[in-house]
Amino acid sequence: MSRTTRVVSVEMPSGGDVDIVRRRFEGSSGPRIAVVAGIRGDTPEGIRVAHELCQFLEGVEERLRGTVDVYPCANPLAAHRGSRLWPFFDVDLNRSFPGREDGHPPDRVAWALARDVHGAEQVIELRGAHPAFREAPQAQVRQRDGRAAELAMGGNVAVVWARHPGPAANSTFAHQQAGTIVLEGGTGNRVTPGVGRDLREGVLNIMGMIGVLAEDDLPFHWAALQRPVLVTDEEVVRVRAARGGLFLPEGTPWQEVEAGGLLGTVVDPSSGATCESVTSPVSGRLLAVREQPVVFPGSMVARVVMQ
Amino acid sequence: MSVVFRMEAPYRGAYELHRLSFGSGSPTVAIVGGLHGYELTGQHAVNMLATALRVSRPKGTVHLLPLVNTFGADESRKRWPFDDLDINHAFPGSPSGTAVERIAHALLQATEADICIDVHSGAPHVRELPHVRVPLGGEEVELGRSMGLPVVWRRPGDRLDATGLVGAWRQAGRKALLVEGGRGSTLDTNHSDTIARGLAALLGHLRILPSTNGPGIVADVTHGEVETHRAPFGGFFVPEVKLGQRVQPGQHLGHIQAPIGGERLGDLVAGRPGVIMTLRAYPMVHAQELLVRIAGTLA
Repeated sequence: MSRTTRVVSVEMPSGGDVDIVRRRFEGSSGPRIAVVAGIRGDTPEGIRVAHELCQFLEGVEERLRGTVDVYPCANPLAAHRGSRLWPFFDVDLNRSFPGREDGHPPDRVAWALARDVHGAEQVIELRGAHPAFREAPQAQVRQRDGRAAELAMGGNVAVVWARHPGPAANSTFAHQQAGTIVLEGGTGNRVTPGVGRDLREGVLNIMGMIGVLAEDDLPFHWAALQRPVLVTDEEVVRVRAARGGLFLPEGTPWQEVEAGGLLGTVVDPSSGATCESVTSPVSGRLLAVREQPVVFPGSMVARVVMQ
Repeated sequence: MSVVFRMEAPYRGAYELHRLSFGSGSPTVAIVGGLHGYELTGQHAVNMLATALRVSRPKGTVHLLPLVNTFGADESRKRWPFDDLDINHAFPGSPSGTAVERIAHALLQATEADICIDVHSGAPHVRELPHVRVPLGGEEVELGRSMGLPVVWRRPGDRLDATGLVGAWRQAGRKALLVEGGRGSTLDTNHSDTIARGLAALLGHLRILPSTNGPGIVADVTHGEVETHRAPFGGFFVPEVKLGQRVQPGQHLGHIQAPIGGERLGDLVAGRPGVIMTLRAYPMVHAQELLVRIAGTLA
């Protein structure tokens, strides 16, 4: 029988608490896997997947060979209103790690979450796409983290992206524990049919690869899973608009594009006249396509994985 | 006034970064306001200085950029409204990057100077007594003191964050000061006047303008000499002191009461003599939120 535990509670000034909870599914002795969703409030896809995982795990808990901890929503106040940042403080929880025990609520939540997850054999963070984009299902791991990349290849995604850490990496959740796998995809602030299923099956398959979930208990055949390509930063090309206006995309995620192929047009919002035709600088597949059309000069409109 | 950077913007007129330049030759000083759109007290202070410089004959060059984040100011927002990004986290920026990276890059280019000052206000939920933040040692400490603002706060760390404007200036080898005063989304003309007088005193110290006295230093402190009071629990904070007020050990600073019913839940008491340099303005507080800072002074 799974247990629901309050990891940390935030007292609201006007009364009432906001709880960040963990659902623990414990079978026989074995490794512990932590699955964390909803660090930003505009990622309902990850939260949906976490809940679906819980529903599935309830039926197989006694046969688990280890423990699965699911944190369905780390930032409930932001999720409550569909905003990226922690309300009032206007703080990005995914820039607040490792947090502080004696800090303001976002800092305390970061601290408590990092401490609770610490020591898990495998950490998986579930996200959604950035609110402005549609993305192909993808896994992100740290560059040179071979074991995480190997596991992520079983994550039922189109791409495993081994990323070089950026300047803010140390303050993100994914960098609190080596080997963390980030799974994301779909459309920002939306749930997308099919993407949730892909990510759920990916998480379950990774649990199977680690040995916590028996192959017989997987609700799909492993042969049906996607076989991703493994890429590094050098193989992922950001395409930016040169002009401001409305970007009207031509492609969809994971569609093939040729070098010089049209990715979309930027039109003048007043007249509708075309200001710019945005083309792909390389041949490959679309990893992300801009969904929110308003762009400034320099706004990213697509990511292309080189092939 | 010149436009040092221009960027087209969908659905509205182009974004323009304006610079007002006074005088010529060395030394060169650059003063920036409104990097955060809703920090109006600092913007007004820079404009007050512009008014004074128009009737002066500076012996040196002063560049003023009173309002960087114009689009944020239009909407009373801290960040760049389009993608909710903080320009002050986008340095050194890039001429081919996102909108905030382009603005950051242009601003860094437009503030090529010997001495640079970034003027801010507090967040909308706190009031800040005008103060200058400087490193623990070096010439910037003397430059900061020359402003004569009520508090000189010597603190480590500001040199390190190169994604902020002050850090980027220091990485580029420029002397840099951070000035802060007032409260976000509101205008306090007294604080603007204090900051403007401090900026004029600095220009006097550098012999760009005739020498003038700043408002007067009340506290010159390191981080360890600042007493910070945080909310022990959530509730409704009622202050019993005013910004800039001198306090003694044992003096009541305020109390937290229940938001509904007003039951008194706890009191805040000063532990050291000093001056109130930060005071919570928005009364609904979470546990561990900043309520009061006291800059220590002699009793």
